[in-house]
Amino acid sequence: MKGSRGDRLSSADRDPAGATPLLELRGLTVSVGHLPVVAGLNLKIARGEAVGIVGESGSGKSVTWLAVLGLLPGSLAVEGEALLEAENIIGASEQRLSQVRGGRVGLIFQDPISSLNPVQRVGAQVIEALRLHRGLRGYAARTEARRLFELVGIPDAERRLDRYPHELSGGQNQRVMIAMALAGEPELLVADEPTTALDVTIQAQILALIERLRREMNMSLVLISHDLSVVAEVCDRIVVMYAGQIMETGSTRSLFASPSHPYTKGLLGAAPVLAQKPQRLASIRGHVPEPWNMPPGCPFEPRCPYAMPACSAARPLLSNLAPDHQSACIRAGELPALARHGPT
Amino acid sequence: MTLLRLHKVKRTYSTRQGLFGETEQVSAVNGVSLSLERGRTVGLVGESGCGKSTTGRLALGIELPDSGDVTFDGTRLPHPNTKAWKALRRRMQLIFQDPLGALDRRLTIGAQIKEPLAIHKIGSPADHEGQVHRLLAAVGMRPDQAASYPHELSGGQRQRAILARALATSPDILVCDEPVSALDVSIQAQVVNLLLDLQKEFGLAMLFISHDLKLVGCLAHEVAVMYLGLIVEQGEPATLYNEPAHPYTKALLAAVPDSTRRGPRPLLSGEPPNPAARPTGCAFHPRCPIAVPKCSQVEPALLPRADGRLVACHLAHVESAAGEKVS
Repeated sequence: MKGSRGDRLSSADRDPAGATPLLELRGLTVSVGHLPVVAGLNLKIARGEAVGIVGESGSGKSVTWLAVLGLLPGSLAVEGEALLEAENIIGASEQRLSQVRGGRVGLIFQDPISSLNPVQRVGAQVIEALRLHRGLRGYAARTEARRLFELVGIPDAERRLDRYPHELSGGQNQRVMIAMALAGEPELLVADEPTTALDVTIQAQILALIERLRREMNMSLVLISHDLSVVAEVCDRIVVMYAGQIMETGSTRSLFASPSHPYTKGLLGAAPVLAQKPQRLASIRGHVPEPWNMPPGCPFEPRCPYAMPACSAARPLLSNLAPDHQSACIRAGELPALARHGPT
Repeated sequence: MTLLRLHKVKRTYSTRQGLFGETEQVSAVNGVSLSLERGRTVGLVGESGCGKSTTGRLALGIELPDSGDVTFDGTRLPHPNTKAWKALRRRMQLIFQDPLGALDRRLTIGAQIKEPLAIHKIGSPADHEGQVHRLLAAVGMRPDQAASYPHELSGGQRQRAILARALATSPDILVCDEPVSALDVSIQAQVVNLLLDLQKEFGLAMLFISHDLKLVGCLAHEVAVMYLGLIVEQGEPATLYNEPAHPYTKALLAAVPDSTRRGPRPLLSGEPPNPAARPTGCAFHPRCPIAVPKCSQVEPALLPRADGRLVACHLAHVESAAGEKVS
């Protein structure tokens, strides 16, 4: 796949060595009982960078961000650090976290209808966020809410402020969610499957909107999706997660040009392309292992077509293939030769 | 060989805005014709509310059309819930999106696959156990999984179990309504491959309903694009995907996420339209980037083009007529 994206800066260009990342996860671990569902994650998000997180259900891609923002139930133990510049927000007080959520970090979820309050007008919900995070009240708050509605492309904004969520379409509710996330002027926007529940035409509109807002407001973006082609359109860098670990990370360009983990290759092969006649897809055999059923070495080993005995000996660590490309496969170097993923 | 034919079917629902509001007529399907053939798949695509699921239910006779007719093997579908309809139903099966909702949580997978065998009195009860194992094997499940309850299976396995149950009556027709939308890509690929294999093995005629053009392209021999209750373009995926003739097909294709895309794409503005407020003329004209005055006045007919596809667009018709004059 030759996705040359000359118009985009790679993360390396954006993040000169030594600059403090906006957010850094250090050894982030989430466990149920003694079973880790996220296992020692290290990740840096630079200012203005758009990072896509992909993986199947159960890969820990959503749990990671719920843990960072203190949104997990108490039955899950969170260890490690999430440094928002210098401040570790893991284990921070609920009061502090509620300032961060919707403040420096905006959130959008998959299902806007269940994230919005069904018995409160959508405008009032945005105004509430403006009061909490920017101290705006009265006329000033309503004016700002209307400006945000216009910014996210809600037609007839003044009147829509007084509607209830059930009176708006799914796409419009998602725009309301985005307006609400922008209310606190976030430096980082975390969007968890923001377009999965939407029609393909509306998905395209929402992705274009997120992309535009990110550029205009110089926000960092974490876009969580099961769909590699969605994150590839919006993100500079992609993180592929599996069983609570990072399997591969790299610039969007290099990850598509030379996928260097069998799981990434599997995801690329399984995704349907615009085919012109019935054709089989390259499926990945088996399924994601349960936390209590984790293989001893590489978690992908039981499903991997390139597995060797050494793969089950120890958990492989991420190693550098290029300055902007890392893989946690001990055969990463040989993979391009073993089978090159063809262009789609 | 045409197995099932929908001929100009229409279906209108009455809805009411609020408790005391006026009832209004919502035209879900507005005159759709389709043919399903043995061993072939028709893909039905469009945004939510375009009437694709209603078309699927009309095809199965779960709902009756207000006008037009549905014929199966040359005879008109009987009224729902009559004896004749029940007998026909074993030859036509529906699978849809939510595999957990479609299965009974209190029964084992084996018991649920056995159920249609008992209802339709297929084989002797003594044979049913063996038949369940054969069906599970056909969808790539182990015989011991017959004893599992739905919650013990993964999403992909549940969808397989539903397929096994649908196949129990040896149907001729399978209507799949977004059957893999809720699944991860790797599992989705397994189910797509399974559908292709089962079609080859049993010669199933399939109607595959989805909003995902990529997925439909992997399965369908023919694609029909629906907009507000009407088919606006229909033809082979190679023709439609390479050279869409209808502006709506073009817009749908442009919206498909593509990792190789460079720069911004043409976006379809506006929301999927409300079937209760159908625009005059061509229903797509308010969102159409190339609409001319005629489009808001005259409804375009679904006409064949030289390349064999059908398209309902005034401008595409003019274009094709001009092309034929030149050639």
